Amino acid sequence: MTSMNRRNFVATLGIAGTALLAGCNGSEEATQTTDDAQTTDDSAEEASYTLVKEGVLTNVAELGFSPFEYIDEDGNTVGFDVDLSNAIAEKMGLTCEWLPNQAFDTLVPTIKQGGKADISIAGVTITDERLEDVDFSDPYLNSNQALIVAASSDYATEDLDAEDIQIACQTGTTGDAWIQENLPNATRVPLADVTAGMMGVSTGSYQAMVIDLPVAQNMLAQSFSDLTILEEIPTGEQYGIAVSYDNPGLKDAINAALAEIESDGTMDELKQKWFGTTDI
Amino acid sequence: MQHRRGALLVALALALTGVFATTLAVPQPAQALTTEKATARPNEDGGDGVIGGLDTRLTWEGTVEPGEEVTSVTLTLPEGSTFDGSTTRITALEGLKRMDVTGEAAPAGESITVSFDQPVPEGSLLRLEITNMQFPSEGGECVVSGTYVSGGETHDLTASKPIETIANTPLQSIVNWLDEQPWVEAWNSNQFLGMFLKPQLLVTSFSSLAPGWILCLGIVVAAYPFAIALGLLFAMLKISKWRILRAVAVIYINVLRGTPLFLQIYIMFFGLPMLNINIDNNILGIIVMAINSSAYLAEIFRAGIQSIPQGQYEAASSLGMNYVQTMFTIILPQTVRRVIPTVTSDFITAFKDTSLLSSVGVMELMMFSKNLTTVSGNITPYVAAGIFYLIVTLPLIKVVSIVEENIARSERGGGPRPKRRADVADNAAAQIAAQSKEVAADVC
Repeated sequence: MTSMNRRNFVATLGIAGTALLAGCNGSEEATQTTDDAQTTDDSAEEASYTLVKEGVLTNVAELGFSPFEYIDEDGNTVGFDVDLSNAIAEKMGLTCEWLPNQAFDTLVPTIKQGGKADISIAGVTITDERLEDVDFSDPYLNSNQALIVAASSDYATEDLDAEDIQIACQTGTTGDAWIQENLPNATRVPLADVTAGMMGVSTGSYQAMVIDLPVAQNMLAQSFSDLTILEEIPTGEQYGIAVSYDNPGLKDAINAALAEIESDGTMDELKQKWFGTTDI
Repeated sequence: MQHRRGALLVALALALTGVFATTLAVPQPAQALTTEKATARPNEDGGDGVIGGLDTRLTWEGTVEPGEEVTSVTLTLPEGSTFDGSTTRITALEGLKRMDVTGEAAPAGESITVSFDQPVPEGSLLRLEITNMQFPSEGGECVVSGTYVSGGETHDLTASKPIETIANTPLQSIVNWLDEQPWVEAWNSNQFLGMFLKPQLLVTSFSSLAPGWILCLGIVVAAYPFAIALGLLFAMLKISKWRILRAVAVIYINVLRGTPLFLQIYIMFFGLPMLNINIDNNILGIIVMAINSSAYLAEIFRAGIQSIPQGQYEAASSLGMNYVQTMFTIILPQTVRRVIPTVTSDFITAFKDTSLLSSVGVMELMMFSKNLTTVSGNITPYVAAGIFYLIVTLPLIKVVSIVEENIARSERGGGPRPKRRADVADNAAAQIAAQSKEVAADVC
């Protein structure tokens, strides 16, 4: 693949992508490993990191965060983060696997504790608070927050800072913290699942929801046409890949792979594929 | 005249706006950096207050005005706060797009200076997130002020809206004290103990679960008198002479005892509003608990009434008592004593069953602990709820066993003999002896 020019790479990306996805689900793992046999040889010598499962980069995420990671109609785990972690694994001469769905607020503790997953690539914003528990790779994507309300409502953002207002969020996210700090009078409703929150706003159980802007845009376009983004909250937060502090070699290897993905245009391809723009 | 007056007014208005404009323009130099907001992350365990003297995060936002560039910002807080040991995250945005701005933060007591490697360009939103700083420990309203450097000149920042902070609460001090103890750390490092019995969370749980516990007790205590009255009514119906009344009672008791309480709660809480009957959640909770318990109590009372021997009815009627008199003066008083243990057991069950009301949004004990668990990601609040239930149920269980023992003893005919009765007997014997002596003397 290294001899391929960029255009060829693009052409084969679709095929490679599906193969990799299948690999993620564990069915074509055997073929995948033989494909990568040569690359594994060079990287294995200098590899100074430990993995939960040999030859496999084990991911943990909350799999209801489209377009970053979600389960499609056929039951496959797909999304921007999924493609990105496949690309990273490929650069490192590994295959990647995803653990079953786990609540978002348990991801950082899982990585900190170790033993179950190597990395968490799940739209996790790098914050100083999380850095106390886990290490992060270089940021791979910029994001913002969105305040969602029902399209039929006529709230202004200030109206939402009232006691009888219920605002949903995903437990432990930066959106959760944003509500606490910026709408302190409202009743915050932390939920495990983004869809449950949007459904609640749609049916009127909650008056609003705060969630990452790309997710809001995607889910509103896909399935919640009765909701609208009241405010795009410029937070400029950055997603990073959570790695344990006990595994500094892995962080370095991931950063090297990320840099390569950034420079060879793979990153732009993925952004184009999932967001329809490279300007994100 | 009309025209002249109009012209005069216009002139006056013009003059006024002129004066206004100059007064506005003169004392206020153009701001290159406008403070948008300053907020702090709540750091109260199980609450939403910002407590002074404890680590929290200050977020300050400002916009750089057109034609200006900012090279450094100094934020200052009231005396007593500290930025020492904090870390700063710098974010500069143009609209929603993040710009590459890096810098160096130099904390110095109650102020912090952030100098940027690249000047922050015009029109951008600048955000400084300062983690692990502290507000003054006495609390109060904290205004973020400071200065900024633009084009080599230092200007004052507009002061932010005050941030409400509170002094440390006694509860929080206990939690902080626990945080520092080595044994607590060792305890929590054990995964099981840290997950189920985290001391800090136990302390906060006890205070924040208390209202839920009171509500649980309130619901069951309010429901029980109604349950007893209803239960007695249906027990009477079930042993009635008329078949139709017996049928009504049998259906009522069997349907309620034969379906889960969970289902009954759902029907009442979701069914009634659909019929446009809207009752307050807590009242509805009391009603559901009362109706459900009444079915069980009806059976308990019926068994209690029927355990009284038939001979007592016959004896009462031979004394000329009618049915109602017999029931209320002879049968029921004996029944009450016999059913007290079973009724207490049922009370305990009913008290625990109030937990099911959490599924329909009654803010009782389980609801509070569920909320705390979602916020903390720890099981300890549930364990605390369990302890709250035990506070009520354990003494009641003890009461049941004491009462049962007493009843069993008196039914056996055991227990201490009343003394008075023996005295009376002795006196009587003595009197008889004396009388017989007298009689004997008389005869002689």
